[in-house]
Amino acid sequence: MSVPGMTETTEAVARARAGDADAWGELYRDFAPAIFRFCRRALPTREDAEDATMEIFMKLRDKLSQYDETRSFSAWLYRVAANHCWDILRRRKIRQDKETEDVENVPLEHPDPSQLDKLIEQKTSEEVRQALHKLGARARMALVLRYYSDMSYDEIADALGVRRAFVGVVLLRARHELRQALEGKSALAAGGTS
Amino acid sequence: MDHLDEMTCLLYAERQLDRARAQAVSAHTQDCAACRTLLRALDRESRLLTRAMLEADEPLPARLAEFQERARKTHHWISGLIFGLAATGVYALYTQLETWQARLSDAGFGGTSLLSLLIFQGAFWKGWQSVITLLEVLAMLTVAGFGLVIFRRRLRRGSALALVFAGLFAALVSPPPAGATEFRKAQTAEVRQDEIIKGDIYLSGERVRVEGTVEGDVYVAGKDIDIDGHVTGDVIAACQSMRVRGRVDGNVRSAGNNGIISGSVGRSVTWFGDSVTVDSTGKVGQTVSMFGGNLAIDGQVGRDILFFGHEVGVNGAVLGSIWEKGDSLIIASTAQVGGRIQFKGDQQANVSPGAKLASPVEFTQREHRSEYTTGHYYMWRIIWTAAFILLGLVLFLLLPKFASEAVSAGERVAAPIGLGVLVFFGVPIAAILACITVVGFPLGLLTLGLWFFAINCAELVVGNVVGNWIFGRTADTWGQIGRMAAGFVIVRIVYTPIAPLHVIGVLVALGIWWWGIGAIALALYRRLQPKVSSSSMGVPVAAAS
Repeated sequence: MSVPGMTETTEAVARARAGDADAWGELYRDFAPAIFRFCRRALPTREDAEDATMEIFMKLRDKLSQYDETRSFSAWLYRVAANHCWDILRRRKIRQDKETEDVENVPLEHPDPSQLDKLIEQKTSEEVRQALHKLGARARMALVLRYYSDMSYDEIADALGVRRAFVGVVLLRARHELRQALEGKSALAAGGTS
Repeated sequence: MDHLDEMTCLLYAERQLDRARAQAVSAHTQDCAACRTLLRALDRESRLLTRAMLEADEPLPARLAEFQERARKTHHWISGLIFGLAATGVYALYTQLETWQARLSDAGFGGTSLLSLLIFQGAFWKGWQSVITLLEVLAMLTVAGFGLVIFRRRLRRGSALALVFAGLFAALVSPPPAGATEFRKAQTAEVRQDEIIKGDIYLSGERVRVEGTVEGDVYVAGKDIDIDGHVTGDVIAACQSMRVRGRVDGNVRSAGNNGIISGSVGRSVTWFGDSVTVDSTGKVGQTVSMFGGNLAIDGQVGRDILFFGHEVGVNGAVLGSIWEKGDSLIIASTAQVGGRIQFKGDQQANVSPGAKLASPVEFTQREHRSEYTTGHYYMWRIIWTAAFILLGLVLFLLLPKFASEAVSAGERVAAPIGLGVLVFFGVPIAAILACITVVGFPLGLLTLGLWFFAINCAELVVGNVVGNWIFGRTADTWGQIGRMAAGFVIVRIVYTPIAPLHVIGVLVALGIWWWGIGAIALALYRRLQPKVSSSSMGVPVAAAS
């Protein structure tokens, strides 16, 4: 899928806001695959991702009037998606406080640089995707927001409800969990299965 | 040599360090191979993560691929249905009104006013009880709808389906109501003298006779109806003529040409039609309400008389008051009236000297001039317009966000009108039902109050939508208020000449109310949804590829 041109997107958004159903269709066709992939990475199951994608676009339809056209549409869309997915995870009683406590209290082991380099080199994309699903919800969401949606630390802090200074710790801990999962060790927090 | 910690390396790789710190890290990695390797590994790890997540390993599910098309089709279907029904209704009223009036007249319904025409149609349809039942169903649907809106977030798909199936199962296995209902249709439909019907009965035919006993309600449609037996419930009728010679313990509600009550009616008589006579032997326990031609009271009425029509003649006894808006009121010397007599008509009431009245007749001369031709009417329109704009101003300043959301919801037109129809009818009924139960009384009363307030705000919302269409949208509060005021004035100017056009005037008014109240309801509905932050930080996004 290619990224829709900014001008075309802006036009489609403007037309969709005016009630043009075709424009809405264009936006859906252009962005639904990426949003589905985002949800697929962030949520535990495929069914969850499908439901969430539909819900996000239904919400979007109502919220389109709130979108500031001077900003990037796709960034705004990912924000909506991120918040929606995180809401879903939180509603499922993800023990946010406990995880935060874990992150703050458990010391992180300094990796051996050459061994880490070797591990990264050996692993395929498919193995990484499988490992991602073994992570805790917060760790997985943090990695998705940063390395899929390309969100800034400020945005991640806002989406996850943590302090900005804490985002680096969350990301580093998520990487450690990922490495453990890649090495075949059980992740520190189970996040569900795909 | 001390090495950099991993967090510092990560923040450096992600360009999150300040300039001085980044320079220090950069200088360190010039000389330290281990830290340089760590930095490279972290960077490769980032790229591996991005690559792994961006790869389209799964195609878009068919369900999602079809979702937009299905949603679009559904939306079109609903919009099309609403507009189709509305257009058909307007067209039918325009073209068929006279035809229907003629047909009803031929069928024995001599109603000449729009009110009686509409009411006759309603009575012909299924009877008042059915109307009430329908309204109750609408109310229940509304309550259920609101319940679903509130609780749907707590229902997973599986449990929702389980609820649906459980409900269906319960509906299928639940026993029928205790009282059996009977249907009889014939040229002459009857309940014979020796029969006892336990429960309600529906009778239809050219002639209908009830000579036996019905322990329930009687729903009857026919040309000539005779109630000679005993009905313990109500008699709901649509007919040309009806005679009650027997005994009805409940009410008599009828749309018909002529009614003669020679027997007794335990409670009230409500009649839409040409004439009703309470014979000298007739007795009505409570009130007689009539909308139509002539009412003659030769017997006894236990309480009041409410009358809109041509003429009331009283020869017998009315133990309560008389309120009449009609052409004439004749009170004979044998008459006896126990309460006030208020008469609004063209000429003074004709009162015989021997009549026993509790108080003199209070007469008000009726004015035939249409209010629409008076300057007074337009002056008050202007005053009310200003008052409504003031209300809109206050609401906008108090609730700017919600006001904007309501206006935004109103811009979709079809959806709010559809929802508005439901809310307009459903909410007051649900509120009244809630009031019936003692516990629900405060809630019912509050809901009713909010509903009434929303009705008053509806035109403001529509005005603002019109203002936005003409002058364009704005985020500025005072700009929105200006558009609301201008749009409201435009709506009023357009509506004022339409208002006197009876059916069209009523339909347009209803349309405005439905549209506005639907928009308010839609905005409220969206407020009940889980909050989603929608602010944009304007970051570069490469992930949508």
